[in-house]
Order: sequence, then structure tokens, then C-alpha cells
Amino acid sequence: MKDRYYLGVDVGSASSKAVIINQKKEIIKTSVIQMGTGTSGPKSVIDNVFADTGLTLGDIKLTVGTGYGRNSLKFADKQISEISCHAKGINYELKNARTVLDIGGQDVKAISINESGMVLNFYMNDKCAAGTGRFLEVMARILGVKIDELEKLDESSKNPVTVSSTCTVFAESEVISLLSQETKIEDITRGIHNSIVTRALALLYKTNMEEDFTLTGGVAQNKGVIRALERALNKKIYVAKKPQLIGAIGAAIFAYEAGEERG
Amino acid sequence: MEINNIIDYLVKSADFPGKTIKESCKKNNKEAVGCVAPYAPEEIVYAANCIPVGIWGGQVELTKARTYLPAFACSIMQSIMEYEIRGTYDFLKAVLIPAVCDTLKCFGQKWKGTSEAIPFVFPQNREAKSAEAFLESEYKYIKNKLEEILGITITEKALQDSIILYNDYRAEMRKFVEIASVHTDVITPVIRHKIIKSSYFMDKKDYLEYIKELNKKLRLLPANNSKNKRIIVTGIMLEPDGIIEYFEKYGMDIVGDDLTHESRQFRTDAPFSGSALNSLAKRWTNHNACSLAFDPYKERIQYLVDLANHYKADGLVIALMKFCDPEEYDVPLIMERMKKENIPLLVIEIDQQAKSFEQINTRLLSFAENM
Repeated sequence: MKDRYYLGVDVGSASSKAVIINQKKEIIKTSVIQMGTGTSGPKSVIDNVFADTGLTLGDIKLTVGTGYGRNSLKFADKQISEISCHAKGINYELKNARTVLDIGGQDVKAISINESGMVLNFYMNDKCAAGTGRFLEVMARILGVKIDELEKLDESSKNPVTVSSTCTVFAESEVISLLSQETKIEDITRGIHNSIVTRALALLYKTNMEEDFTLTGGVAQNKGVIRALERALNKKIYVAKKPQLIGAIGAAIFAYEAGEERG
Repeated sequence: MEINNIIDYLVKSADFPGKTIKESCKKNNKEAVGCVAPYAPEEIVYAANCIPVGIWGGQVELTKARTYLPAFACSIMQSIMEYEIRGTYDFLKAVLIPAVCDTLKCFGQKWKGTSEAIPFVFPQNREAKSAEAFLESEYKYIKNKLEEILGITITEKALQDSIILYNDYRAEMRKFVEIASVHTDVITPVIRHKIIKSSYFMDKKDYLEYIKELNKKLRLLPANNSKNKRIIVTGIMLEPDGIIEYFEKYGMDIVGDDLTHESRQFRTDAPFSGSALNSLAKRWTNHNACSLAFDPYKERIQYLVDLANHYKADGLVIALMKFCDPEEYDVPLIMERMKKENIPLLVIEIDQQAKSFEQINTRLLSFAENM
């Protein structure tokens, strides 16, 4: 019998992700492009995910699109919100996950899920992009470092400072002041990570706060943020192996469920 | 008139408020008086032979409003300020500005339009007997100011007639929302909103005739067996229309509301009392379960549970007006109770100036998927 394949595509504000799975729910190929909706990212991620697989879009039985750019995926059979997809994706990877904190490019979501990966309730940031991936990008630029250098800097912090968690712009000017006062860049970095977590906690506390806690989204690649969250919650935080891909994995699982049910 | 014609007429009236007000004034040979946001005693304006016009802002780009208002003033006040600076409200003979929150208290003292502002204060401790006397004196002040501005006398009979008309209107509107909840195929969320909204721009006497006819016609239709999710919305207002369209897109019917802009306006009647102004004062002291009225026992929370049960709702959406303190304070309490009651809850932030609703789109889609 011919193999069946399912595609999940997550077009976010800052990056595009795609995952192909087969009828056994095994991941065949993944791809991440650091360009989101409104760019060539969605097209590139599709090209990349099929590269070296011997597959084409024509071999895909069903595609689910998610993320802010989900509606731009005209070939997708269905669009599902990234909240549902993150819940489904994390359930695929970490069965015991009950509270998910997803920190993406422009928003933060705290999601309570049940044992089958269904969303029980969720809360999202509003008013400002403080505490999101964009916030980290802005901060890294002011500090004059690459975004992936932040976690190393955080590690050497001895006297972390406080950075505003209310507003990205206020935080930006605060960091500039701290730099002009010659505050150590390591301590500012720790302050930035703590600030992200302070913002996220306000959302997390609204959920059922049930363990296990997991962190997903691009920002989960930063160990400084993970450590800050563990310090604040005094709990072990589980991080998905490829946190940026969880939404796309969830979308692929939704495609699989729809396709296999349909037969 | 056919049901579709009534609906079309009311929807268009809401879509073109300026035109509607102008035509209504001309037809009835009346002037227009503005009422900023909720709970102004429209009956006094109506008794002054004027059409009370609801001023609730709109989707306008802010260019000058921030000169006069802090960035954290709520989105409705920002757009009203923008419109008043642009002269949009200058055709009004006067503007009533009730101080039902801190922002409106300050706002009433800095009206920038050319029409005369009549700011007034609602007593918050509504259980004290003096509250009624105080509000009656505030209403007397409004009556005197309108008489002075319009050069007329507002008689007790005109006030009593106006109260009777408004109580009739409120009763008919309560019937409308009840009947509409079983005809969501005809009265979709957008249509429901616009029908209620159109009342702010028409003579209530004319509007009441349309609603009576609409209710009569809706009663004759078979109840629809929609498979859509049944939603209750609470908050100050649910706008812009782009947001309501997502409810329709994701198969969610609005079967009931606790919005200040909608049902809260016609929830409480003015009871019979010795004098008309006292009746109107009693209307406020009897008005409960509202974020803008002192509610020490938080009756609003139980009210929402009852409303959800009454309409067999699948979920509750809080349309949280951006930077509206009274509403923001209630949100955690509502969340806690809804969790206990197992009523799915979603909070969306309302910003009248917004043109893109992508985050709200995601929230509503996800809410619909997981209810």
C-alpha cells in the first residue's frame, strides 16, 4: 500500500516552519526559515521541506496551515489556529505537558491542555509586544550582540538589574540608560530575560497551573529565558526538542487525524 | 414592510449615522443633542423636543486627540476627542457628558467641540437615600441647561410622556434580543449589533415602530436549528464590525449580551414615581450588575452566569475596551467564576482605532475550535 504523507505549515510573524509526517505519525522532514508572513519565507520553507525527500506537494494527502500567515497558504486544506496546533504538537512530543508557554515572534500564549492535547483555556498578551521574540531582537540590537549570544551572557551575570516588562519602547530606553551607566551587559541581559518571564507569568497564573510545564516557540531556544522561568516558578520546565517547530508539528498531526479519519 | 426591508433600513441607519440623524431631525422637526457614551438621561433630551444622539466614537485615525488625552485614556474617548476636534459634533445643540468613570469625569471638563457641554455626575453609592436626591438635582441642572440653550420650557408632562416612550422602547428591545436569539440565521451577530446601534441615531418613537414590526415578523418565523456555537458577549462595546464578522466566520452566534452599548442600555426601566426626574434618578439607583455602577457584591458575575444559563450559551466573550479600568478590574473575577462554572471564556481587547484584527482573529478561531 502506498505511503500517505501529511504536511503542517506554521507561518509566523518572524519565521516559517514546515513538517512532513507519514501515516505512522513519524516525522519525515522538518524545515525552519527565519522569515515570516509577507516575505518569501513561506515559499522557501515549502521548497526546503520537500528537498531530498523525493516527495512533492502532490504526494501530500492533506495540509494544515497555522500561524499568523495561515490564510496566505492557499494550497492548505484547512487552517487551524496556532493555539490549537501548539497544544496538539506539544502533546505529540511530551504527553504529560499540561501547561504550555509559547513565546513567539510577536505574542505570548499561556495554554492549559488536557491529556489528549486539547486546549482547556488560553491567554495571550495584549497592548504591547513586550516579552516576545521581537522584544529580544530589539534588546539584542541595542546591546550590540547576536540574539543567540544572549544565553551565554546571561550565564555570567552576577548582579542582574531590573528591566521594564511593561513596554518594549520603555525597556529600550531603560537599557540605553543602563549601558550609559556602564552596567555590565551580562547583568542587563539577565534583566531582559527576567523581564520576559515577568510578563509571561501574568498570563501563566491565569491558567490552571498544572504540571508539567513546557516552553515552546522560538524564544524557548534561549536557555537564559528557560532558567529565568525555572527560577520564577521554582519548577522544572520541559522544553520541546525543536521548540520552534511545535506549531507545525501540531498542524501536521491535525492533517493526519483528518486524513486518516477520512480514510 | 417586509422583514428584510426593516432590517436593511436599520442596518443602513447604523452605517450612516450622520445621514440618519439629519433625516430624523428633518422629518420630526427636531434638533439633536449628543449623549456621550452610556446612561445619559435621554428622556430629558427627548422631552426638550430633541433627538438624543449616542456618541460612542468610531474607527477614526487619531491625529490630534493625543494632544488633549493621555495615551491610556480608553479607546472610545480617544476617538470622541478626535471627532470633536474635527468638528464632527458641532451640529449638536448640546452634549451631555456623564461622569461614570474617571476618564469621563475629566473628559466632561475639557470638551473641545463648539456645542455646549453639560457634564454631570452619577452618585456611586446608590443605596444611600441621598443618592437619589443628588442625582435628581443633577438632572434638574441638565433640564435647566437645556431650557436655557434651546430657549424652551420642558414640562413635567413632556418628561412623563418621554419616560413612558422610553420604557416602551426598553421593553421592546428586551423582547427583540430574546426573539433574535432563536433567529440567528436572520439576525446574525453583525445585523443584531447594527439594529441595536441604529437606535442611537433615530427618533425613539420612529425606532420603536420599526422594532415592534420587526419583533412581530420575527415571531412568525420558525425558530432556526443552528448548529453554531451560542455566545454571550460582555463589556462596553463590541466594535469595529471587522471583529463581529469573525464571530460569523467561525460559526459563533451572539445570543445574548451584557454590553453597555447594547443590552445594558435597555435593561433597567424608569419606575413610576412622584416626579419625572425622580423616576429617572431611580432608574440609575436600580441599575445593577454593571461595571460602571458601584457593585460591592459583584452582582455582574452572577448575572453573567444566569445569562449564559438562560441562553444555553456555549461560551462567554469579554470584549475588553482597551484601557477601560472598571472593566479590567472585573475580568479576573469573571475568569475565576467561569472556570468554576465550566463556562468557556475568552477575552478580546477592543481598540476602536485598530484596523487589523489578526490577534483577535486567532483568539476567536481558537476559541471556536476548542469550545
